[in-house]
Parts: sequence; C-alpha cells; structure tokens
Amino acid sequence: MENAVNFESVSFGERLGSMLKVDFRRMFKSKLFYILIGCALVIPILITVMMTMMDGSVSVNPQTGEETVMEGPENTWQSIGTLPSDGAEEGEAATMGGMDVMAMCNINMMFMLVAVFICLFISDDFRSGFAKNLFTVRAKRGDYIVSKTFVGFVCGALMLIAYFIGAMLGGAISGLSFDLGSLNMGNIVMCMIAKIFLMLVFVAIDVIVSVGAKQKAWLCLCGSLGAGMLLFMMVSMITPLSSTMMNVLLCLAGGALFSIGLGAISAKILEKTSLV
Amino acid sequence: MNAVEISNLSKNFGAKQAVCGLNMTVPMGAIYGFIGENGSGKSTTEKMICGLIPTSGGSIKLYGKDYTDEAVRAKVGVLIEAPGCFPGLSVFDNMMLQAANLRIPDAEKEVVKVLKMVRMEGAAGNKYKNCSLGMKQRVGIAMALLGNPTLLVLDEPLNGLDADGMRIMREVLTDIIKDGKRSIVVSSHLLGELQKVATHYGIIRHGKMICEMTADELDASCRTYVALQTKEMNRSRMLLGCKYSRVEEDEAGYLRVYDLTTPEEIVSYLYENGICVTEIKTDKIGLEEYYIDLMKGGK
Repeated sequence: MENAVNFESVSFGERLGSMLKVDFRRMFKSKLFYILIGCALVIPILITVMMTMMDGSVSVNPQTGEETVMEGPENTWQSIGTLPSDGAEEGEAATMGGMDVMAMCNINMMFMLVAVFICLFISDDFRSGFAKNLFTVRAKRGDYIVSKTFVGFVCGALMLIAYFIGAMLGGAISGLSFDLGSLNMGNIVMCMIAKIFLMLVFVAIDVIVSVGAKQKAWLCLCGSLGAGMLLFMMVSMITPLSSTMMNVLLCLAGGALFSIGLGAISAKILEKTSLV
Repeated sequence: MNAVEISNLSKNFGAKQAVCGLNMTVPMGAIYGFIGENGSGKSTTEKMICGLIPTSGGSIKLYGKDYTDEAVRAKVGVLIEAPGCFPGLSVFDNMMLQAANLRIPDAEKEVVKVLKMVRMEGAAGNKYKNCSLGMKQRVGIAMALLGNPTLLVLDEPLNGLDADGMRIMREVLTDIIKDGKRSIVVSSHLLGELQKVATHYGIIRHGKMICEMTADELDASCRTYVALQTKEMNRSRMLLGCKYSRVEEDEAGYLRVYDLTTPEEIVSYLYENGICVTEIKTDKIGLEEYYIDLMKGGK
C-alpha cells in the first residue's frame, strides 16, 4: 500500500470555522454591508428630523375639504417602540392619513432590510459560481447554513444597533425628549436584546428562501420580504419598549427554534437540489 | 487503489436521461482525458463527482471512499464551466476566500505561489470583473490548484487560454501527477492539446462510456498511414484508389493511404504510371481523428 493516500478527517468545528471565515471576510469586503449599515444609521435620523419639522402642519383633502394635522414624535424612544401610556394618545400619535407613521417607520424596518442583505449575499454565491468551490470541498451542507444564519444574524444585530444609535442622534438633533416615563433603561436594553434575538427568526426564513431560490435574487427578495411581511406586525407586540426578561427568553426560544428547524430543512434542500 | 471509480451512474433531468449506467475508472496518478460531444454528459458527470448535483443512481468512489466522505472531498480541486469568483473583488481577495474555504494555514504565501504558477502574480490586485477571458481562466486554474488537491476536476480548462497559457497548463498538469498519488480528470474539446498530457482516456456518448483506454492503447489503436503529394493529385487518387482500399484527401491537401504499405511501394507504383511524387511521409492519426472515427462508428 505504498501508494495509499491519507486523508485527514475534518471536524464540524474546523469546517464551520473556515466557512465563517469565508463569510465574514466576504461580508466585510462587500459594499452592500456598509450601505445597509449606513442606511440603518441615517434612516432614523431623517425620519425623526422630518417628522419633527412637519409637526403641526395641516394638509387638506381637496375633495372632502377635511383637514389633517400632522403630529410629529414627542419622544425619542418612539423610533424604537411605542411608549405604553405617556406617549402619544391613542389614535392620535403622529398620524398621517390614518396611518401611524412612527409605528411603521421604526427600528422594526430592519427586520425587512436584513432580507436584502441575506438574499443578495446567498444568491451571489450561486451567481458567481463560488458555490461550486464551497460545496466541492464540503460534503455536509449544515456548515454552510449555520454560517450564513450566523453572518445574517450578526449583520441584522449590527443594523439594529446602528438604527438605535441613529434614533438617539435623530432625537438629539430634533430636540425630542429622552424621558422614559414609567419605564427604565433596563426595559430598553431588554427590548433591544429581544429584537436582536428575534432577528434569528427572520434570518432563518430569509436563508431558507434564498437557498431555495439560489441564483434568482429577485425570487429570494420577493419570497423573503413576503414572508417577513406576515411576521412584521408581530415584532412590535413581541418586543415592546416595556420588554422584560420574559420577552428576551421568548425571542431567544423562537429564534433558536426557527434557525434550527428551518436550518435543517435548508440543508436538506441543498443536499437534494443542483448547486450549479 | 483508483482515484475515481464510478459504477452504473445515472442522472435524470425530468424525462431526459443525461447520464445512464456510466462506468468510469481513473487510476491514481493519471491525467484522465474525458472526451465527448456537446451534451454527452461530461459536465454532468464531473458535477456529480464533485457533489454539485445529486445522482439518480449508481455509485461514485473517490480513493476507495464514498464521494460524500468529508475528508476526501476536502482534497478535491475544481474548475467546472467558469471560475467561481466574485466579480467585485480583486483576484487576490477571491483567492484568499478560497484559501479560507480550504483552511490553508499560510494562505497569503500559498496564494502568491499559485498565482505565480499561472503567471498571474502581476494581476493579483485587479478586480476579477476587469480581467480578460484568458486571465479569468488562469485564475480559475489557480483556484483549483490551491491547497494541493489530491483530485483535480477540470472542465474545459483550456478555454480562452493563449499559447503560453496552454503550455503553462500542460506543465502544471504533468507536474501535479509526478508523485503518482494525485490524479486529474480533464475534459476538453481541444483534443490535440489533451493528447499532449493525458495518460488515460474515457470517451462518453449519450451519457454512456463507450471506450476507456490508456495513452499507449490509443497509440496502438491509431492507424498509421502514408501521406503524399504529387503534381497530378486527381489521377494519383484514382490510381491509388484502384490498388488500395482506403484513400482519402486530407484538409492539408495530402493523399492518405491507410492500407499497410510502405512509401517506397507507393512511389514506385505511381512512378510506373508516370506520376512524380513531390512529397511523402508516414504518420499516425491523432486523438482527434480517432475520436471522429469512433463517433462515426468506424475505427
């Protein structure tokens, strides 16, 4: 057996480590990542400043003659979530044509924006053909899914943090109150941690859709955004500003469940379908 | 032990059977020229070897282990269709990504070494999307060579390469198999180039292996012929056609006599008939002609 070839076995940790190295290297080299983080930072500043400037302006419906008075945010924390009691009064909070603008354009938008990153990040693997290099040396698909989920999660978490910083800056620029009312800083921290953990649910959905659609980026985006829309309204309910440890645990459990369950299905999809 | 052992492999795309009952053996230390027409199933087979598409049936063994074995697959280098590179990243960054994927410890040094091998060290900083077709192909080859793969699977690696690129490719391929443990499966339509390096051949048609042989066996199978030119080609052809069973005119304008004969015999036969031979030589048909003959059903 002088011609025998020895092959070193590779542990899951080693495989995952190298896959993470590839993905993080790519993420930090990609313009898309910095653009999205930049958007996450700038959007809350623009929204807060614009809404504050529009505060008190009256718009008239030319057909009915009905007047609508724009009400801007009263508190900086409205960009993160709705204050339970001493925020804007029910039905009157920063409304525009019956729509609560601050309830729609707040930090929860990041759950949709992260889909753009994941879809383009994964579909680029297949469009460029780099997936061939990855999967030729990786018989097991699990490490690819775990790595993509983790990278998506990190990107999502960074976007949430960037949005938080942007919201604080926007509040400071607009001269809004930082008063927490009946809440305390602990609730805000718990709210942010809960949102970060909840990101795993969205990331897992985005990953499975992207893995199914592969190089068809438009299909990944439509699928991910569509699926995200269904869950979007739940985010503010699960992660209110008054979040406690319970909310954090709930989001962590949901995130773990979704990422493990959908991750296993994603790996199966990769095993059973053509990768080129 | 064989590097690749495929038995009864099949692949269906819906109702279409791309590969059916394919058997293939690539010995260790071989450069296996995988030949076939467009759509014959070469790329599909190579993709199955690399685990990029699931098989519909049959088995694939790499170095005696199932092709899904993580340890064996970690030592496979691949260049199928186009190099898998991100267009927005530089050549070097793309190589570094692949080095990270392969867990190469001294990645930077290894990347520089491989880029030097394919004469791309000067273009390492170029964005991949700005590279020419030939440069992209060289990057693809460099990427496949990273991490000293035990098995290399190359699909049309010579596409877009200039003469120098092809020479480098030949040198690299022959160098790889020197230790007798590493093997290469290479498919190409440039049969002349392939014949310069291949030690074994497999010819596939309609998803089935129709012939496997070594380079020596091919050499023995290739018929010798006498090629000649005269001042009266038409008359010469007519005269030779009366005496010999197969006389053809090739693209270069030579008359080829395939029967077992000597140049002297032909020269004297034509001289007796008043024709002066201006040029005559003995030669062998190459892989390309052998392949064309085989595809036509003759030999």
